[in-house]
Amino acid sequence: MAHGYRVVQWTPFKRAFDSVLLLSVAAFLIAFIAASLAAFPGERAVSAIQLLIRAFGACAFALLTLILMIGPLARMSPRFLPLLYNRRHLGVTCFLLALAHAGLVLVWYHGFGAINPLVSLLVSNPRYAAIVGFPFESLGLVALLILFVMAATSHDFWNAVLGPRLWKALHMGVYWAYALIVAHIVLGAVQGEKGPIYAIVVGVGAALVVGLHWLAGAREVRADATLAPEEEGWLRVGPALEIPDQRARIVTPAAGERIAVFRDGAKIYAVSNVCRHQGGPLGEGRIVDGCVTCPWHGFQYRPQDGCAPSPFTEKIATYRTRIEAGVVFVHPTPEAPGTSIAPSLVEVSTP
Amino acid sequence: MSKEDFFIGWSAQTPRVDRRFMLAASAGLIASAAGAGALMASAHDSAVGGRWDGVVRDWTGLLLSEPYPLLRTLDLDGTPRTAFLATSRKTAVRAPAHLDGAFVRVRAGLIARDNHAMLAVADGEAGIVADAAAAPASLLDWPAVAAGDVMLTGEILDAKCWFGAMRPGFGRTHKACAALCTRGGLPLAFCVGSVCSLGGEAPLLLDAGGRPHGRAILPLVADPVVLRGRLVQVGDVQQIRADLGAIHRL
Repeated sequence: MAHGYRVVQWTPFKRAFDSVLLLSVAAFLIAFIAASLAAFPGERAVSAIQLLIRAFGACAFALLTLILMIGPLARMSPRFLPLLYNRRHLGVTCFLLALAHAGLVLVWYHGFGAINPLVSLLVSNPRYAAIVGFPFESLGLVALLILFVMAATSHDFWNAVLGPRLWKALHMGVYWAYALIVAHIVLGAVQGEKGPIYAIVVGVGAALVVGLHWLAGAREVRADATLAPEEEGWLRVGPALEIPDQRARIVTPAAGERIAVFRDGAKIYAVSNVCRHQGGPLGEGRIVDGCVTCPWHGFQYRPQDGCAPSPFTEKIATYRTRIEAGVVFVHPTPEAPGTSIAPSLVEVSTP
Repeated sequence: MSKEDFFIGWSAQTPRVDRRFMLAASAGLIASAAGAGALMASAHDSAVGGRWDGVVRDWTGLLLSEPYPLLRTLDLDGTPRTAFLATSRKTAVRAPAHLDGAFVRVRAGLIARDNHAMLAVADGEAGIVADAAAAPASLLDWPAVAAGDVMLTGEILDAKCWFGAMRPGFGRTHKACAALCTRGGLPLAFCVGSVCSLGGEAPLLLDAGGRPHGRAILPLVADPVVLRGRLVQVGDVQQIRADLGAIHRL
């Protein structure tokens, strides 16, 4: 990548988004502490440190649940795309909350003793062979390390350095982190509480995450199952004018990635449907300022050659198109990323 | 969808439809966050009794080193009371051998729950000094009475946290702390019943000979267990005496 990076590329929307995020976190923590103090006064009051441990931990879990809901929600409605665009801010905030939870646990439960707190964390409960009695703290520690790696590499600089595939694979670790945190809560707080509140919270949270992913996944499977009809080696896309101007129709070949067929006025282009940045569905984006623009993070590519405009250097595959009797066809064999292909032209009547 | 309706994160302009949606979502998110926080905190387990008042006072009384370092002293209301001795950390305080059985003065903070007491000695072993002037006769004669054999279910926990150093100081999330206190040589208590937060009695846990179990009991600390043992009353302290082999995890 030839261009420079900023820590955060601030926009008015991003400032508003982060303000709402901080207000929501503050609302959760203040409400949690105030409600506990009101419900359990005097000798029933939970100590200040233990209350903060619970508040930070609960807030981190709720935020991570929300983070994992955003992906499938954005697949089902474009209204959630602003949340998707700013999701990394949620992730870094979640890590900081989890870090505060872990730091207080380390000091309060593992500090002030005869052995190092980190050693205490790993040896205080030696029942690693048990299931119910498993040392749940170690699960939280591994999850925290995963969240740290993700927070530390969340910037686009690391996406460019590591490459999209490795970066994506690394950040898919969030699902491992979530599973570890669910186990951490189930084997820890849920077993320790006499009431059902934490069991309900973790159950509802996990069910939402799994349910939404299942729904979004089912839509993708259905889309993949609907193959574009093939005629003499070309895929039939449909009437050119049925493709909305500056938008695309996505077709699924029998093999390979989906293809996004765009119409820009009278010009028909076809490019890979997969954004090089984070795998976003380019065909659900639109043409802005002459460039195919990804709906997820706004990455852009010229439709005629699949190259990102300067100073960016990403490239995507392009596809040959032809038009017969107003019907668009695309050849399913991708050209090398960055290959320039002349658009097919459709007659557009003007009022 | 017009061009103006297409959200681009880096753009200075946010489509009106997205602004409206995000405004509603923001209000919902903040309200939901506050509601979820309040709901969870009003339903989670509370502490039940016990406190560490933080005031360091002079305490006088009879120092004994067995089974754990303890001071037979007068409570704040003048009631004769057994107070176990600890540091202000998760470690035991050693009773100076030459003062074992002598009247002493210690500067310490009180950790108390119902009739249970522990003193967090401010200066450790050096903070325990002879004080022959303080020798009320009521502190001298505390006979031991065996109350019989029992089988009890409950949880082994460190007395310091359960008396009020931690609030709450029991259960799964407290297991590591209880183990650390056990390693530090602090007295162990046996919280009778399935849920310690219900309160009630927590006799001192010792082996069948009336001695501390030591670190061998670590794997069983803070887990639900059943034990067969003998109840013994020594002054105001109830003891449950059971060998390690008579304690089983549930």
